[in-house]
Amino acid sequence: MSITSTTSTDGSELTIAIEGRFDFSSHQTFRQAYEDLTEKPDMYSVDMNAASYLDSSALGMLLLLRDFAGGDSANISILNCNDDVRKILAISNFEQLFTIK
Amino acid sequence: MSDTYQHLDVAIIEELRVVMGDNFSLLVDTFVSDSALRITGIYEAVTAATPESIRRAAHGFKGSASNMGAVRLAALCNELEQMGLAGGSDGAAALADDIAAAYAVVEKELTALR
Amino acid sequence: MTSSHIQSVDSVILIADDSDFDRLLLKSILKEQGHQVVEAVDGLDAVAVFDRERPQIVLLDALMPNMDGFEAARRIKLLAGEDLVPIIFLTSLQDAGSLARCLDAGGDDFLSKPYNPVILQAKINAFVRMSEMHKTMRDQRDEIASHNAHLLHQQNVAKKVFDRVAHAGCLDASNIQFTLSPAAVFNGDILLAGVSPTGNMTMLLGDFTGHGLDAAIGAMPLAEVFYSMLKKGFSLRDIIREINLKLCDILPVEIFCCAFFAEFDFNNNRVQVWNGGLPDCLIYSALDNTITRLPSRNVPLGIVPLVNLKDSIELHEVKEGDRLYAWSDGIIEAGNSDGEMFSEARLLKLFEGGGPKLDLFPTINAAVVDFIGEGTAGDDISLIEVTVVAPESFKVAIAETEGELSGGPDDWSLTYNLRREAIREFDPLPQLLQVLMQVPYLRQFGGQVFTVLSELYSNAVDHGILRLDSAIKNTPGGFSQYYRQRKRGLAALQEEEILIKLHYGGTATGGTLEITVKDSGAGFNYLTGAGQPISDSHKSGRGMHLVRSLCDSVNYLGVGNEVCAIFVWGNHKPRNPAIERVQ
Repeated sequence: MSITSTTSTDGSELTIAIEGRFDFSSHQTFRQAYEDLTEKPDMYSVDMNAASYLDSSALGMLLLLRDFAGGDSANISILNCNDDVRKILAISNFEQLFTIK
Repeated sequence: MSDTYQHLDVAIIEELRVVMGDNFSLLVDTFVSDSALRITGIYEAVTAATPESIRRAAHGFKGSASNMGAVRLAALCNELEQMGLAGGSDGAAALADDIAAAYAVVEKELTALR
Repeated sequence: MTSSHIQSVDSVILIADDSDFDRLLLKSILKEQGHQVVEAVDGLDAVAVFDRERPQIVLLDALMPNMDGFEAARRIKLLAGEDLVPIIFLTSLQDAGSLARCLDAGGDDFLSKPYNPVILQAKINAFVRMSEMHKTMRDQRDEIASHNAHLLHQQNVAKKVFDRVAHAGCLDASNIQFTLSPAAVFNGDILLAGVSPTGNMTMLLGDFTGHGLDAAIGAMPLAEVFYSMLKKGFSLRDIIREINLKLCDILPVEIFCCAFFAEFDFNNNRVQVWNGGLPDCLIYSALDNTITRLPSRNVPLGIVPLVNLKDSIELHEVKEGDRLYAWSDGIIEAGNSDGEMFSEARLLKLFEGGGPKLDLFPTINAAVVDFIGEGTAGDDISLIEVTVVAPESFKVAIAETEGELSGGPDDWSLTYNLRREAIREFDPLPQLLQVLMQVPYLRQFGGQVFTVLSELYSNAVDHGILRLDSAIKNTPGGFSQYYRQRKRGLAALQEEEILIKLHYGGTATGGTLEITVKDSGAGFNYLTGAGQPISDSHKSGRGMHLVRSLCDSVNYLGVGNEVCAIFVWGNHKPRNPAIERVQ
C-alpha cells in the first residue's frame, strides 16, 4: 500500500490518502505520515478513496492517530469510504470516534 | 610467451622460484624422483600394451611435466595419452622413447637451474 | 604475477594426491598464501586425515591408488554431515563425462594443471566465504529454532494458566453448545460463561485484535474480572464497565476487544445483551421460526474508558426453547481453496426458510466445514449456542468460596441508607452480599440470601417508591414500556429514600439473618392487600412467593413500606416475628 500526505497551505489540516490494502504491514508508513510534522495540524483527514481493504490492525492504526491527535478532542475525518470499508468501520461503531463521510 | 618447442617455459620456472622460495631445489629433486617412477610406469604400460593403462600413465606424467614448465615433455605425454584414449598402442613404444629423451634434457636443464 | 599480493584467508586445507611432486607444489603455493596444509597420499589416507583434522577445504586428486578421488569424496561428504566442506578435484581430465563424475561424487569445483596460484586463491577465497555464510545461516537457523521452541513452550504455559482461569465457568452446562479451537486464545478469541448468585447465566464472547501472545495477554485479566464480579453478584452494566476500564488501562492504544455479552434471567424469561464490534448475533425462536438480530451498537472494549452504558444494554424477552447464537468474524471470513469467504449471507441463510429448526448448531458447523473443504485450517471458528430453559433445568454447581470456616463476625448489624442519586445510579447489592459473605457459615447460602435481598430491594424501588405496575409486563410491548416508565421514575426522584438493615446473630451450628428493607413510599395495607401495586408475586415461583419459600418468615411492618425477612440456618431458633405497627 502507499500513502500520500498533503498539508493545507496554512498548515491547519493534514490529509492522508491511502492506496491499496490498509493492513498490518502499513504500520510504519502510516505513522510516519503524521508523526514528524513540525507543527501539529488542527484537523486530520484520512482519504480512503483508493483503499481496497481494511482489517482490524488498520482500525488500531486509526486509533493510534486519534490518540496522537488528542484522543477525545481530536478532529479526524475519514473520507470517501467504499461500501466494504464503511461496513468495517460501522460494525465497530467508529462513527462514535471519527467523523465518517 | 614461449615457443612451444622449447624444453622449459622460463616464465613458469620464475613463478615456481617465487612460490617455492628457498625450496626450489627441493621441488626439482622431487620432480626428478617422481619422474623416474612415472617413466618406469609408462614403459610398463607400453609393454603390457593396454590402452587404458597407457592413457593413465601418460596423463599423470603430463600433469607434473606441465606444472614444472616442461612444455615439450608435456606435449609428448599428451600425444601418448590420446593414443591410449583412442584405443591404440602401435607406435606407443617409440613415443615412450621420445618421452624419455625429452625428460633427459629437462632434467639436465633443471639441475643447472636449481 | 606473484601470489603474495593476493588477499589470503587463513584456513586448514587438505591436499590428497599420490604424486609427491604435485603435493609439494600445491602445499608450497597454499602455504605461501597463508593457509595451513595437511596431506594425504591416497583416497583411504584422505578420508582418515579428513576425519582427524577436519579441514575447511579439500583438494582431491581424481586418480589415486587404494581408493580413487570419487570414492574418497563421497565418504568425506558423509563425514562432513551438515557442515559445508568444499571439495576441489585436481584433474586435467577435460571430457564432460569425467567432469560430471566429479560433480556426482560430491565435487564442487576443478583445478587443472598447470596449477595457477591466482586461480587457486580465488577459488579458495570464494569457498571459504561460502562456508562461513553457510555456518552463519546454520547458527542463525539453530538460534531461531531454539527461540521458536522457547516461544511455543511459553505459549503452552500461558495457555495452561489461561485455561484454569477461563474454566472457572459453566460452559459445560447442558443448555450450552460451543465450538472453540483449543488455541483460540492465541487467535484473540475468548469464550466465558458463568452463573451469578441469583442463578442468572452471563456469557461473553470476545475477539481481541492481533494474534499470538499479544492477543492472549488481555484475555487473562478480562476473565478474572468477569468471573470474580459475576460471582459477587455485580450487574452486567458494572461488569462491562469494569472490564472496559481494565482493558483501556492495560492494552496499548491500537489493541482492543470486540465483545458480545448476554445475561440470561431464566426466572423471568429475559436476556440482556450488549454487542460492541462483533458481527450480528441473533436469537432464534423455533416456535415461530423467526430471528431477532442483535447488531453491534457499541465501540469495542478497551478504546474509550468512560463508556456510557445506560442505554446500550438491550433487553429482550425470550421463551423457553429460544436459542441465542453468537460468533466471531472467524466464521464469516472462513475461506475455501478458491479464496471465497463463507460470508454472513450464507450463515444467515441457515436460519431462514423451511420449518422450525432444532439442530442448528451441528448444521452450522457442518456447513462451515463443508465449505472450507479439506486441507484448509478451520481453527478460527468461535461459535456458541445458548438455549433458554426453565430455571429448574439450569442447575449448575456453584463453586464453594475458599477459605476456612473460622469465626467471622457472629453478632452484628449494618444499616445502609440510599438516597436519590444512589437509588438512580448505584447497585448496592454486590457490596451487601460481600459483607454477608464475611460470615463463613453464610457462604453456602449465598445464592438464597442474594435472591432475597435482590427481590426485597427491587420491590422497594419499583413498587414502594416508583409505584410501577408489573401487570404491564404481560401486555404486548409492555416490557419496554415498563422499563421506560422505570427510567422516567428514577430520573424524577426527589427526597425518596431506601433503608436496608442487616442483622446477624449466630454460632458455629446455626444463625439468623434478619433483612429489613424500608422505603419512603406510601406503602399499602398489607392486612387487606388494598393499595398494593401488583408485583411479580402473582407469577408462580417469582417475587415475594420465592422470598417466602426461602425464608423462615416474611412480615410487613409499618404502613406496608417496610418488610422484614428472616433467614435461619442450622439449629438456630427463629426470632418472634415483629409486632405489627400501624403508623
